[in-house]
Formats: sequence, structure tokens, C-alpha cells
Amino acid sequence: MTTFIQDHLSDLWILATASLVAISCALVGVFLILRRQSLMGDAISHSVLLGIVLAFMLSGTRDLPVLLGGAVLIGLVTAWLSDSLHKVGNLQKDAGIGIVFTLFFAIGVILISLYAGQIDLDQECVLYGEIAFVPFDTIIWGDMENGIDLGPRAFWSIAIVFALVLASIWIAFGRLQTVSFHPSLAASLGINVLFWHYFLMTLVSLTTVASFDAVGAILVVALLVIPAASAYLLAKSLKNMLWLAALYAEVAVLTGYALAVWLDSSISASIAVCAGLLLFLTVVGLQIHKLRLQKRAVKTLA
Amino acid sequence: MKTLKNPLKSNAIKSKIILQFAAAVMLSFSWVQNAAAQLNVTVTTGMIADLTENIGGENVKVTALMGSGVDPHLYKATQGDLRRLTQADLVLYNGLHLEGKMQEIFDKLARKKPVFAISDRIAETRLLRHGAVHDPHIWFDVQLWIEAGKRITEILAEQDPEHAKAYQQRAQNYLNKLAELDSWVQQQIQQIPQQKRILITAHDAFGYFGKAYGLNVMGLQGISTAAEFGLQDIKQLKDVIVANHINAVFVESSVSPRFIESLVKGVAAEGHQLHIGGELYSDAMGLADTPEGTYIGMVRHNVSTIVSALIHSTLKDQQTAQGNP
Repeated sequence: MTTFIQDHLSDLWILATASLVAISCALVGVFLILRRQSLMGDAISHSVLLGIVLAFMLSGTRDLPVLLGGAVLIGLVTAWLSDSLHKVGNLQKDAGIGIVFTLFFAIGVILISLYAGQIDLDQECVLYGEIAFVPFDTIIWGDMENGIDLGPRAFWSIAIVFALVLASIWIAFGRLQTVSFHPSLAASLGINVLFWHYFLMTLVSLTTVASFDAVGAILVVALLVIPAASAYLLAKSLKNMLWLAALYAEVAVLTGYALAVWLDSSISASIAVCAGLLLFLTVVGLQIHKLRLQKRAVKTLA
Repeated sequence: MKTLKNPLKSNAIKSKIILQFAAAVMLSFSWVQNAAAQLNVTVTTGMIADLTENIGGENVKVTALMGSGVDPHLYKATQGDLRRLTQADLVLYNGLHLEGKMQEIFDKLARKKPVFAISDRIAETRLLRHGAVHDPHIWFDVQLWIEAGKRITEILAEQDPEHAKAYQQRAQNYLNKLAELDSWVQQQIQQIPQQKRILITAHDAFGYFGKAYGLNVMGLQGISTAAEFGLQDIKQLKDVIVANHINAVFVESSVSPRFIESLVKGVAAEGHQLHIGGELYSDAMGLADTPEGTYIGMVRHNVSTIVSALIHSTLKDQQTAQGNP
């Protein structure tokens, strides 16, 4: 058994990291779906470019923590600003998101061609991680030669975010529920709607950027939308929906990894495909169920 | 009428598919040890694979992460790449940030197994700099590639001392061929008239080539194929093209030709004749089993394409000059 674990340590680290990313994204995604902001992840995946460039220009280094900090900050600004556009400017939510992230991305592109044209500096190259290589990028306690290997860096960073997401939802479940479903009721009850809104957006930005660093962009965008959307089709309550989204995300990770092993393909793309297939199966299953119910109703009528 | 399905049959097929799937998963989970005494070498680019195979011969088994035609800037890892790295006895990569974020992975992997950047011994003075970072495209200067070959020979002899003699012998053989290639390239480029030695491509991959063989190299995009280019870049390029009567620009195998095509159209709109001189291999070699699928074949293809296009345009100039005295 120990040799089995040793032999498959890499696979286990990947599965563990992917599961944490998937469940964090699914949980946050539930609130995004309910607020009709599912594409926030996609928006942040583009606007982080500006954060990276600004962080690079201010610090002069390409060190990851600096760039990650810039990315999280710009992610926050994206979420905040697009919602302000909706609230203050009376624009539709999706339009607000579309305006802010394209603007930020465009500013990033201009800044790169002005100041950093000769340097490989794009989110693809400096931020987006590759989940297949998660096991190699480990944290080392002490010096490079003899230090203790503490396991993959991506695993620990996403574990912290996961704990944060879980704790926030656990503690503030009632508030988040009221704010998401009945904002006006929440306001009349004296709940600070604005605070909870920004709280949620901070959570989204943190989760997305940490997940980008761990597993790359496609997977994060897919996991923010698809499991939550699948759960939305079935769930009867918010609690129900959160559990279902997490379950869908985990099943997508397991089947997706098996698919990637089988086809020797990209792990993130395979997981995203499996998440999509699960959603499709759910839709078809629900349709069949509906047809059966109709038939039964017709029969009983006749 | 209801037709009865044969539940046994469909179940059997289903379970067969599931079994096959499970078997595939199990198989890939079990690290199969290589029985032969070959050194398992995993490399990043096709160029390094070619160099390592020529030096390592039958004593090594080379696996490249980036297949032929794959731009290293846009490489996406597959699940199998994880295994290719964990099973390798030795990992070789280009270095100088060609592999981008993978650099961190190589640094960490170096704790567990021998991992080397083949460019790590090249003298600082021979490297091109762009601000704070180095240009990674060293393979276009054949002499630098010979240095890389020497480094690989050293590494292979160190890792597999039993076959050190064989490595050194094959290296001598192959590096001699590269030296011949180098002087051939020199000769070929000499044929182009001095003022015509301007090479315009889609991105800045040919810096070392230009420096080594005396061509003035200009690119539309920056070092990374993922970056965008500005309007000023295009305007400057157009001015250079018109001022120097350049008639040929080049597309690259791993970069979409549409930027260069639009440049050609833009210059043509100003009444200057410009055509595409041909396709050059830049960040990746040609398909395996074609002449361009080897390093030597790739360099020969590139140089012949450049020389014939630039000389051809010179001849045309002379003809038009004679035509309208």
C-alpha cells in the first residue's frame, strides 16, 4: 500500500488540488449564478493582465507573489467596478462585466506594448498554472538542497482559499441567502447589503486568481459556471444547491482525470469537458422525466 | 408492438467499455520500468530532442514534451507529460525563459533528478539581451548550438559514464557536421548583396541568426508570440521596407501568417512591391520524417528560402533598373 501511494503521489496531489479548486469554484459559482454574474470568472481571467503589468512596472520583478497580488487587486476592482456600473450607471449586469474587463485588458495590452514589449509578460506565461505539473512545484522548507519538501505550492494556496470560502459560507450562510434571494428584504432587515456584496466579490476574486495560478484559466472559468448551473437545475434550496454543485464538481474532476489519463490529453480541458457532459446529461434526464410525467398525466386524465 | 431489447447484450457491451476504460486507467497508473539499459531523457523542444538523439544514439531514449510544429510559447501540457517527467532519468530544457513558467518546475524537479538547461554554460557575452531578459532562440546561431551540443555531451557522459566514449565519439561526428553547416550558412548569406541583408519576419526569433551571419533582423511582434504589436511597429517596418527597397518578407511555421500578409497588402497599397519570400521554421521544426524535421534540415531550409528570396528580389531590381534607364 505504501508503495502504491508513493508511486501515485503525483496523481494524488493533482486530484487533491483539482478537487479543492473545483469545490471552491463551484461554491462561489452558486452565488454568481444566482446573481446572474456567471461570467465574472472569464472577465477576471482577462483583466488580470492589467494587474500583472502594473505589478511588474511598479516592482520591476517577475516574482510570482508580487504578480499574484496585482492580479487579485485588479480582480477585485473588476468585480467592484462592473457591479457599480450596474448599480450607478443603470447598465445591465452582463454589460457592466463586459465593459470593465475589456477595458482593463486593453489597457494592459497598451501598457505592455509601451513599456514591456521586449519581455514575455502575459497572463498565459506568468500566471496561469498547469495542473499536470502541480506535483513538481513544491514548497521547500529551508534551503533548496536539503530542505524539507512540504508538498505542492498550488495545493496549499488553494487549500487556504478553500478553507476561507467554506468558513465564509458556513458562518454567513443566512446573510448570504437573504442577500442573494431577497436583497430588498435584506435591506429592510438592516443587513448591510453592500458589505455582503463586496465580501462575495472579494471571495470570487481570491478564488479565481488562486485557481488560475494552480490549474490555468479554462478550468476555472468552466468550474465557476458549469457545476453551479447543473445544481441550479435540480436544487430546491440554497443549501441543496451548494451540496449538489460541490458533488458535480468532484465527479467532473474524477471522471475528467480518468479521461485525461486514457487519452493522454490536457487534464484541465478533460475535466471541463466532463463537467459539460454532466450538465448535458442532467438536462436530458430532466427532459425525459418531464415527458414521462406528462404522459402519466395524460393517461390519468384519459 | 413492443420490441424487447436484449438486456444481456447491451449490458455486456457497457461493461466491456467500462472495463477497457478501467484497464487504460490502471495501465497508465502503473509506472512501467524500462527494461533496456537506455537512459530515459525527456526534453522540451524538438530541436533539443534532435540534438540529444544525434549525440545519444542507441544509448538514450529521447522523449520530447513539445511535438513538431508546437510553439513553446503556446504549449499545453497533457496528463502523459507528467509521467514523461517523473519517469525520466534526465531532463534537458532550453532555458533562458523559453519554457516560461515551467522554469520553476525544472528548478524544483532538480532536487529529485538531474535537470539541466542546455544553455547554462553559454558565456553571457554571446547572449542577446532585451532589457532584463535574454533572447532564448539560441538554436539559430549554429555555433551556439554546437556549444549546446558540447554541454549535452558532457551531461550525458556524466549521467551515463559507462557509455561516455560512445557519446563523445558521436558528438564529435555530429558537431563536425554542424560546423560544416555553419560555414555553409556563412557562404550562402555572403551571396546576398550587403544592402539587401534585411530579414523581416512575424516575431523576433531570428536575433541570433542575424547577429551570427550579418543580417539586419526586424520582427512585427515581440519575443513572445503571444504579445500584440503596435501601430508604430508596423509603420516603422513599412518605412524600412520602402527606404531599403526590400521585396521579400517571411512567414513562420509556428506563427499565423495573417500579420505578415496584412503587412504585404499595406505596403502594396503604397505602390511598393513586396511579396512573401517563403515560410521559415522558427520556434519549432517541421514534421518528423521530412527533411525539415531535423535541425540541419530546418536550418538549410530557412537559409535557402531567405537567400533565394532576397537574391531574387535583387535580380528583379536590376531588371527594372535596366528596363527604365
